[in-house]
Amino acid sequence: MIKNNKTRTGKLISIQDSLVKARFYGNVIMGETANVIVDGKSLQAEVLQIAPDPRNSDAGIVEMQVFEDLTGAQIGDQVEFTGKSLSVLLGPGLLTSIWDGLQNPLYKLGEQNAYLVPGMKAPALDEEKLWEFTPSVAVGDKVNGGDAIGTVPEGRLTHSILVPFNFGKCKVESIIEKSEVNITETVAVISDSQNVKHELKLAFRWAVKSPIPFKDRAIPSKTISTGVRVIDLLAPVSYGGTVGNPGPFGAGKTVLQHSLCKYALADIIIMAACGERAGEAVEVFKDFAELEDPSTGDSLMNRMCIFGNTSSMPVAAREASVFIALTVGEYYRYQGYNVVLLADSTSRWAQALRERSGRQGDIPGPEAFPMDIPDQIKGMYQRAGADQGTGGSLTFIGTVSPAGGNFQEPVTQATMDATGGFWGLSQDRADAKKYPAIDPLSYTSSVYDSFISWDDRNKMLQTLYEANGIDQTISTIGLKKVPVEKYVLYQKGLTIDFCVMQQNAFHKLDACTRPERLIVINEAVQKLIDSTINFAQDDKEDEEVKEMVKAKFDELRQWWKDWNLSAQTIDKMAVLPQKVEQFILQEEYTL
Amino acid sequence: MIRKEINRISEVGKALISVEGNPGVALNHVVELLEAGTNQSLSFAKAINITEDSTRFQVFNGTQGLSTQTKIRMHEVPLTAGFSYNMLGRRFDGIGDVADGGPEIIFDKYVSTRLDTLNPTVRLVPKQPLWTGIPMIDVFNTLVKSQKIPIFAGPTEPYNRLLSQIAQGAQADVIIFAGIGLKFDEYHYFKEQLSQSGNIDKTIMFTHLAGDSQIKGLMLPDVALSVSREFADQGKDVLVLLTDMTNWSNILRNVANYQDQIPSLQGYPGSLYSELAKRYEVAADIEGAGSITIIGATTLESLEDPVPDNTGYITEGQFFLDNGKLKLARSLSRLKQQVNDTTRDDHRPIMTAMASLLADAEKAYEAAEVGAANDTFSQKLLRYREDFIANMEEPFGEPIELEAALDKCWDILKRHFEPTETGLSKKLIEQYWN
Repeated sequence: MIKNNKTRTGKLISIQDSLVKARFYGNVIMGETANVIVDGKSLQAEVLQIAPDPRNSDAGIVEMQVFEDLTGAQIGDQVEFTGKSLSVLLGPGLLTSIWDGLQNPLYKLGEQNAYLVPGMKAPALDEEKLWEFTPSVAVGDKVNGGDAIGTVPEGRLTHSILVPFNFGKCKVESIIEKSEVNITETVAVISDSQNVKHELKLAFRWAVKSPIPFKDRAIPSKTISTGVRVIDLLAPVSYGGTVGNPGPFGAGKTVLQHSLCKYALADIIIMAACGERAGEAVEVFKDFAELEDPSTGDSLMNRMCIFGNTSSMPVAAREASVFIALTVGEYYRYQGYNVVLLADSTSRWAQALRERSGRQGDIPGPEAFPMDIPDQIKGMYQRAGADQGTGGSLTFIGTVSPAGGNFQEPVTQATMDATGGFWGLSQDRADAKKYPAIDPLSYTSSVYDSFISWDDRNKMLQTLYEANGIDQTISTIGLKKVPVEKYVLYQKGLTIDFCVMQQNAFHKLDACTRPERLIVINEAVQKLIDSTINFAQDDKEDEEVKEMVKAKFDELRQWWKDWNLSAQTIDKMAVLPQKVEQFILQEEYTL
Repeated sequence: MIRKEINRISEVGKALISVEGNPGVALNHVVELLEAGTNQSLSFAKAINITEDSTRFQVFNGTQGLSTQTKIRMHEVPLTAGFSYNMLGRRFDGIGDVADGGPEIIFDKYVSTRLDTLNPTVRLVPKQPLWTGIPMIDVFNTLVKSQKIPIFAGPTEPYNRLLSQIAQGAQADVIIFAGIGLKFDEYHYFKEQLSQSGNIDKTIMFTHLAGDSQIKGLMLPDVALSVSREFADQGKDVLVLLTDMTNWSNILRNVANYQDQIPSLQGYPGSLYSELAKRYEVAADIEGAGSITIIGATTLESLEDPVPDNTGYITEGQFFLDNGKLKLARSLSRLKQQVNDTTRDDHRPIMTAMASLLADAEKAYEAAEVGAANDTFSQKLLRYREDFIANMEEPFGEPIELEAALDKCWDILKRHFEPTETGLSKKLIEQYWN
């Protein structure tokens, strides 16, 4: 950081879309932010590259991306360097907020204009709101970066006020009594080992590209109940895990993201709406506010914050939006909370990098993406993780929007390499309206533990595999040549698919399945898989037997589907395994 | 006001010109090109790339006939579009100039064509259905006010006919027709249709015919959408017909190519997604104001082409037209869930059941081609498929009310299946099967 009161400036010498070059004298820092002054408006920019000026050995040329529309910019316009890299304001009030990709609060901007006009700004966090601060350290105490000096209640959470993470050993010089303060007031003064005094407030800025450290990083081990059956049974994710969720358009990524927002059990959900439709983010913050948080019964919005750099907002701010969201997630993880970050979509983030590197004239890699895109993607997912030192975790679920629905493209491939779980959505399943269209048989995997045993999980998958194989046989040589017992196996697979894998995200009861219900379902499924079914074959022809088998299974599936939509109490839930038992024995069902 | 003039064009390309030095033009500002000597206005142009050594412009009327002697007059403002209620019933070109030979219009005001993003907080969650009388849309993929949705179709499909059929029944205060790269007969067809349905007086046509200057085609959506936005800001429900966005994307590709940009897929610039999104995202239901619904057309050879592929990720679904039929499998209205739970109670379940059976039927159809669909149920599915294509996927014909269309769905199911084969709940079967 440069400590110099003199403002360092430059002048624009080149403007192309969001990329500008400026001539400067003196010093410029790689990655620092700058303000470009256009028609009196101050537009935020970030330094990308610094080069010598071929025409003037005293000067240099700095290349920058500007986060807002540059209409009206001219050669010679002033650039003011700030000395600070792109940062996010961390403190109480983050929850329930809705920002653009640079942490400008959208409701506040909306008071100025219905449209997002270049140069508009508003404080990231409410500066007026009073928080009840309770100190937890006393004068003379030693504190380190990341230690709490007190707490404020934020909704139902306790928000610890932390010493910024880059501080070394410090001593508390003064601290206020328990009182109501806003985020601009000083609550404590600490002195570092050089005896330099620092004022601490409820909020501080942190550079988004510097990960907030872990106290004691651990392997993600506790499974998250997402409420989505196919995920929780076959491709689960643990607190602190990473998942890539690719799918062609129309395969149901959005609905799945919304389901996770509503039903995943977590303390905090952060949504980074990165380059996607504005309407989808609006639905979340307008409609979800009326829904209940599954763990507390509060409004669902109380556990959420949203960063919206939607598809028509400036592309340059798209990269920033994901990093800002990640940093906020890390901050709450450090406080000991389980955070789930949904980034929709990481492909738009990668495309923003592609647009920029194209303009900078970099030599393109595969499909014109920057050559180092796999490393950048890995680096991003690595910021997720579980922390056994704080008890918190940051789970990162990123959607991927592969061009042409082709999973071989660079971003999908790099994501598969970077994540512990992978939920591949299939066009065929979506076309058949089999939702969620996660295809457990291809491009779906997970290194995390399921709510059911590995054996049970594998048996379920095996049955689906075999049923799929028989299905293909039927399609190529016809049903006639398939033996009855194979046909029964095929029907078993169909039943698991239809009644368990498929789920109605818009039905009150069916939309969310919790572990206790999964256990009941698993019991029924395992029974169905393990048992030979006593169909009365008499002297019928194979063809007739198959028709009868199909009719019986149709009946079972209809019954099971109704159970999905209606069985709420423990008693009613318990009927499912009994029904399957009786189905296996082919007895008339009377319950 | 005396405007600054310069006279040093150094480079004339296909749609672009460059000027040496720094004439003091700002990014996206407009200049006027004048014939040397006569001072006759030749065209307007927009500054797109500025350095201290040169400035590059996109020329609206094309560069044919320009010379290094051509004069440049500065206007020092970005491109604006004229707005007036007198525009209704009239036709304009891609930069908002009168194009029907009629009298000039005195505009009430000029609006910015920058298409600033609407603050998401003033968007309403769309909840009002737009009924079309087409069962394939109303039952299976209900259209919602403020939706943005294209018709995906091969170049020879009747996509313009479908677009015009949807427009005819649409409950809108203002219809904005935005046609890019139109053939004359297509333009004529729309004009006829809008006149016949009595909608012409609430329609403004912005047209760019194939062969017109590329830059005018490139600008057209911005001009048309800015005018639409002004109507919506004034409380009107606006329907925008955007055809054909593949033509527009191809102009975008050409111009990027003239600018030596590094192409990403199939020669399109890396910004294709953002550029398309910027236009489609104008669709909105605005709190305290009106709404904009965009129905587009995207012609394609294959769904994997960059234009339909990027469009699919941007729009709220798509209607897929194939062999003159509106196909269920590839069509999707992402907003239908917002409106189809308050209609009849069988609406959602029957939609799901029929779709699922149709997917099975498609598999049986493929099996039948190799003679493998020989069991009874496959035969049922095949008959169902034929029935469905003929009676449900046909978009053209007399409009049908939703309830009648739902009854028609039950009739089709009853013709081919036993109740348990449909996967529908017992309760619904009892209520509607007989």
